Amino acid sequence: MAIFGSDVHRVKADVAVIGGGTAGLNTAIAAAEMGADVLIVDKAHIQRSGAIAGGIDHFFAYLNTGEKWDTRDAYLAYVAKVARGAANMKIHEKVLCDELVPAMERIERMGVSLRQPDGKIMRTQALGQPGPYAINFDGKFLKPKMAMAVKKKHIRVLNRVQVSNLYLHEGEFAGFSGYDVRNGDFYEIEAKAVVIATGNTNRMFKSQTGNPFNLWYCPANTGDLHRAAFDAGVELANVEYIRMTVVPKGFSAPGFNAFFGMGGKFVNGLGMEFMKNYHPMGDKAPRNMMVWGALQEVRAGRGPIYIDVRHLSPKDLAHLFSTLGTDKDTLPEFLTAKGYSREGAMIEMTVSEPMQARPSELCGSGIKIDETCASNVPGIFAAGDASDQMGCLNMCVAGGYAAGKHAARYAATVNYNRPFKSKALADEHKRVFAPLMRKTGIAPGEFENIVRIITTDNFGPYKSEISLTSAIAKLDALDRYRDELKANNLHELMRCHEAMNIQSVAKIVAHAALARKESRFPPYHYRSDHPETNDNDWCGLVVVRRDGAKGVATRFERLPYAA
Amino acid sequence: MPAVIDKGKCNGCELCALYCPLDVIHMEEGMAVVKYPDECWHCGACRQDCAHGAITFQFSPAMLGV
Ligand SMILES: Cc1cc2nc3c(=O)[nH]c(=O)nc-3n(C[C@H](O)[C@H](O)[C@H](O)COP(=O)(O)OP(=O)(O)OC[C@H]3O[C@@H](n4cnc5c(N)ncnc54)[C@H](O)[C@@H]3O)c2cc1C
Ligand code: SF4
Ligand code: SF4
Repeated sequence: MAIFGSDVHRVKADVAVIGGGTAGLNTAIAAAEMGADVLIVDKAHIQRSGAIAGGIDHFFAYLNTGEKWDTRDAYLAYVAKVARGAANMKIHEKVLCDELVPAMERIERMGVSLRQPDGKIMRTQALGQPGPYAINFDGKFLKPKMAMAVKKKHIRVLNRVQVSNLYLHEGEFAGFSGYDVRNGDFYEIEAKAVVIATGNTNRMFKSQTGNPFNLWYCPANTGDLHRAAFDAGVELANVEYIRMTVVPKGFSAPGFNAFFGMGGKFVNGLGMEFMKNYHPMGDKAPRNMMVWGALQEVRAGRGPIYIDVRHLSPKDLAHLFSTLGTDKDTLPEFLTAKGYSREGAMIEMTVSEPMQARPSELCGSGIKIDETCASNVPGIFAAGDASDQMGCLNMCVAGGYAAGKHAARYAATVNYNRPFKSKALADEHKRVFAPLMRKTGIAPGEFENIVRIITTDNFGPYKSEISLTSAIAKLDALDRYRDELKANNLHELMRCHEAMNIQSVAKIVAHAALARKESRFPPYHYRSDHPETNDNDWCGLVVVRRDGAKGVATRFERLPYAA
Repeated sequence: MPAVIDKGKCNGCELCALYCPLDVIHMEEGMAVVKYPDECWHCGACRQDCAHGAITFQFSPAMLGV
């Protein structure tokens, strides 16, 4: 076998972006426009990496058309209502509202129109929105177009490099390490500022068909940098929430807002609509309530659940199928392979796998940021799904750009690169490649499966102090197998590190969930021992931080909302 | 089996192997191979990028059966 890691590269930049997905590419563009020397590092290839690899179809925005729900104020009132206790309104204004118009213009400049072929803007309503905020558009090639925009700016990119750890110098960011998952080269990267944009954590809970890659969100996002940032002393927030959605039975694909936006009806096994029993907005309720309703119907023995689209007009059905395929390229043919007619059918649905991610479309879950997208550690910024305040296309494009501006501004004030210790890098080199050196051991998939059984049994999604405490003990006990993980090649090596990161994030999530002694966004945080939402005591963020070698410290930060 | 490559149509351009977000497709002897079929996300990026129509999808019995 080749000796991996014998080639070590040292690379320097002003601003480094970890994760060249939706947010990260906009971050890089912003920082480059500010004059910074920028480097993007992605574990896949930025042409197609991350959540929107195969396409995307909705952009949420208010457009000031004169309707009373279509203003900045009305939109913010909606955020405050629907994401109460998770969205920081001041940050939301900065990372979304202030950046929204330029974000939409940037997408169109990249060559992706937000309009229908006839030039009109088509908007639909779902997810608790007071009006149709969701612009339907063809974003099938949005990711390659973003990558093209990055290329045009001559921004340097390291593709297929999985970032493994972050390093500080006297409390400030110094650099990070990673390795090439295709050739085994080791990278030491020095930068004045870093923006972490690595998405949420997937593969953390059992999936509907048992295959951990049959997921709604991108299975390549495995919390690698949530873990590394946490270990470096970065605070995380909103991580107690477990996000789920309603997906077609058999295939965890998105499409939910398209179905309901077009007027699909959610019905139970008896053919009865049920959402009005759970939320006054019925099938246009916030996502967590749709999931809650579905879970309750199935629990009560009224499953399976379906989306009925038989009443839609042929024109609407044609539009629906084409958007389904824009968001998830392979979904229309899956539905056909299952035998559903495109002339309308009752499509069987189910609740998707849980994941570590935002409890609402209007906030994030992960690295805690301030109004400048900065974390508590000087030099470390975050953007997109990886941050505690951003999520969805609109915020990733808008807020990703904001993060790039702020990181570049910060980098300009740093007059020299902080040194990072060669001992730490030597240790990391050894740690990274260790699974390749073992002659026998445990496969990463087996380790990951154990994590998924523990999480799903104890907090996927229902949880209590007893179940969470039990989960933490079991996840901690799993540590003993970390030194037995074995990889037969570089691809498996990446999977080994992902497996360990998923386990680490699962522990952090369980600790955060233990701290929040109420329920919020049920079932995303449903504590059976504290089933009510308690705004008096818990309207705000549970902030988690590393405490010593193994511990997790939590604190509560209240979020203010106008009455 | 998820993404499936028709060897007769593949001309070895490498695009699918270069871009697959899950590192599922690798080149072997000048030909694209779906090396980790169980890890395919069914995102369809490879099919969109293949100018030779060499990639199709086959859904697993679990996906179609449940
Ligand atoms: C199929 C699908 C459809 C969606 N549809 C919509 C929609 O219509 N409208 C909407 O508003 N939102 C939608 N969303 C949500 C939206 O797409 C995401 O919120 C957004 O794209 C996330 O962007 P991001 O940059 O935070 O993460 P991503 O775009 O996922 O980028 C994360 C990047 O980090 C990289 N990475 C991960 N770990 C490492 C590591 N260790 N080292 C280096 N790189 C790493 C990954 O390869 C990836 O490129 C959809 C999501 C999915 C999955
Ligand atoms: S993109 Fe198509 S032609 Fe090119 S290597 Fe892949 S399968 Fe072959
Ligand atoms: S569908 Fe997506 S994940 Fe599957 S092989 Fe193609 S590019 Fe890779």
